[in-house]
Amino acid sequence: MSAHERTAAPREKGPLVSSETSVRPGAHVPDAATPAGERPGGRAGSPGAGAGAVAAAGVPFAARPRRATARSALRLFRSEVGLVFRRPRTVAMLSVVAVVPVLCGVAIRVFGGEGTALLTQVAGNGLALGFVAFSFMVPLILPLVVAVVAGDAVAGEAGLGTLRYLLTAPAGRARLLGVKFAGMAVFALVTCLIIMVAGLVTGLVLFPVGPVTLLSGTTVPLAEGLLRIGLIALYVTLGMIALGTLALAVSVFTDTSIGAVVTTVVLVLVSQILTVIPQLDAVSPYLLTSWFQRFDGALREPLATADMGQGVLAFAAYIAIFGSVAWARFTSRDITS
Amino acid sequence: MSTRARAVRWGVPAAAVLVVAGAIGAGPVIAAVQGEPQLPELTAEQLIGEVGAKWSGPGTLPPMSGTIVETASLGIPGLPAAPVGTSPLALLSGSHELKVWYGSADRFRLAIPGAMSEQNVIYNNGQAWWWDSAANTATKIKLPSEAPAPAPLPTAVTPPDAARQALAMAETDTAVSVGNDATVAGRAAYELVLAPKAAESLVRDVRLAIDGETLVPLRVQVFAKGAAEPAFEVGFDSITFAEPAAENFTFTPPPGAKVTEGELPALSRQRPQMPAGDVAVTGDGWTSVVTLPFDAAALKDNPILASARPVEGGRVITTKLVSALLTDDGRLLVGAVTPETLEKAAG
Repeated sequence: MSAHERTAAPREKGPLVSSETSVRPGAHVPDAATPAGERPGGRAGSPGAGAGAVAAAGVPFAARPRRATARSALRLFRSEVGLVFRRPRTVAMLSVVAVVPVLCGVAIRVFGGEGTALLTQVAGNGLALGFVAFSFMVPLILPLVVAVVAGDAVAGEAGLGTLRYLLTAPAGRARLLGVKFAGMAVFALVTCLIIMVAGLVTGLVLFPVGPVTLLSGTTVPLAEGLLRIGLIALYVTLGMIALGTLALAVSVFTDTSIGAVVTTVVLVLVSQILTVIPQLDAVSPYLLTSWFQRFDGALREPLATADMGQGVLAFAAYIAIFGSVAWARFTSRDITS
Repeated sequence: MSTRARAVRWGVPAAAVLVVAGAIGAGPVIAAVQGEPQLPELTAEQLIGEVGAKWSGPGTLPPMSGTIVETASLGIPGLPAAPVGTSPLALLSGSHELKVWYGSADRFRLAIPGAMSEQNVIYNNGQAWWWDSAANTATKIKLPSEAPAPAPLPTAVTPPDAARQALAMAETDTAVSVGNDATVAGRAAYELVLAPKAAESLVRDVRLAIDGETLVPLRVQVFAKGAAEPAFEVGFDSITFAEPAAENFTFTPPPGAKVTEGELPALSRQRPQMPAGDVAVTGDGWTSVVTLPFDAAALKDNPILASARPVEGGRVITTKLVSALLTDDGRLLVGAVTPETLEKAAG
């Protein structure tokens, strides 16, 4: 983005700000529009933060020290994360995500682990509940939760009519998109950690804990088992960030967040169906969902590094492609809402 | 924003797509640029001679580890689209992956990875284990006393075995030639082409890729007549000739697992029940036809039967490589030949 673009954009949008009088709570409103630094309804933003932003906005961008822009980006990021995690729907989704491993553990405890070996293992070793939790969540619930947050990131602001206020902040569109991406990534990480911790804690409370049996039949010590669960959490997080980037790209193209969320979820479902059809085996390496399941490589001996490494590369490719699509669209489109 | 600036902006995702496509396509492109691998010229006779000399006895494979991929598209009608488990039947359609660690003839491990599951055969100095993570069972395999190593999977599954079988068939009824050198699992390989001479055979040719350096068979492909893609293929996807880590060959049943002793469950469970009666083989080599008594009632609800084509005196099932004729008088004729040949054989 050129310096001209960055300084000119807020000025062009200026009149629009004054024409809009009602602001819905819970949406982003940049500090420049509310000099007191308080978000409407006091939901986000730290008091006093706005004053600095206003002062900075008055100075031409090129003259502004880098530190100030970094600080404003950080502030934007903090406010984004606060906004994401304080939404009632986020809290509800995270609760569901945390409850599934607990329910799963209680069910195995009460009814016994008959059925697949994985469930049987949980009864003998609580740590296995961490794996079981991921294998339950990764196909649908986790992508759904991430899609809701990422699909809403830009389209939600546009739908509420708050996106143009955000663009008046001296942050620049690319940085705003970066902040949205970072917020989504943090959410994905937190969600995966919640699944891991909920699974582990439930497992520790309800079942005996000891050395872990891997899929290959090898038994590894407790500490290594924990490390492997951590590896799974990181791998799944990266996969979810890749999916979230896709959702973010869709989100940039539309003003209705539900449209972006549904599009992403439908894409996930369709690609899961495609992975099951053996005639379409040739397509499946290009689908995101077929790489999600490869987290089980962490449970093999020797570690299936080739498989998981390819998965990481696939995720990186998705992030690069859809991240740049989102950037190209977001920085070149006319924001009218 | 000007159209030009917008176009420049969209150039970034376009470049990202190109970079990714380039990264994916780099392998084949590099291979195409490098052209065929250059191996010393060998005639078919020399190649068979060298391979035969190396593998005629109990061949000693060099220590290696790798991934074998088996792909079958036999065109069997009505076979479940995604057969589950590792029954021999499951190998008849779709693509399957097998990991191999081979230390020596008395130390090897095969693993079949599945989604959140894994099956293993571990053989170490006379002790063989079958581990099935989905069933949570460890089976100590009873080994026949005369044969030290078990045949862990249908014999045609590992490339060396398949090659041995195919070479055994190379007799008067086969046109043997050396094809263009191939690249398999990143290694330059000779390609031995075995084509049946008989016109009634459904097989166009069988291609063996043999590693140029170690003479280890790396890939076997079976092509049906009139098909560009192999109907059956088993070969290494990646291979490393190095001693695998010793941990691969040790197995202790994990706590909590059911430990049993017995035969290989995957094979015993699924072994087809051979009908009692006389089994006759007519014809020879590529065109041999197996005739066995068969009660069609046993297949009554099988979807395979629904696709059978009625002919005079019976019903015919055709696939890319194999035809089967179910006669009305209760015989089953099977062979890698045209249906007409079967009808002739049925008389």
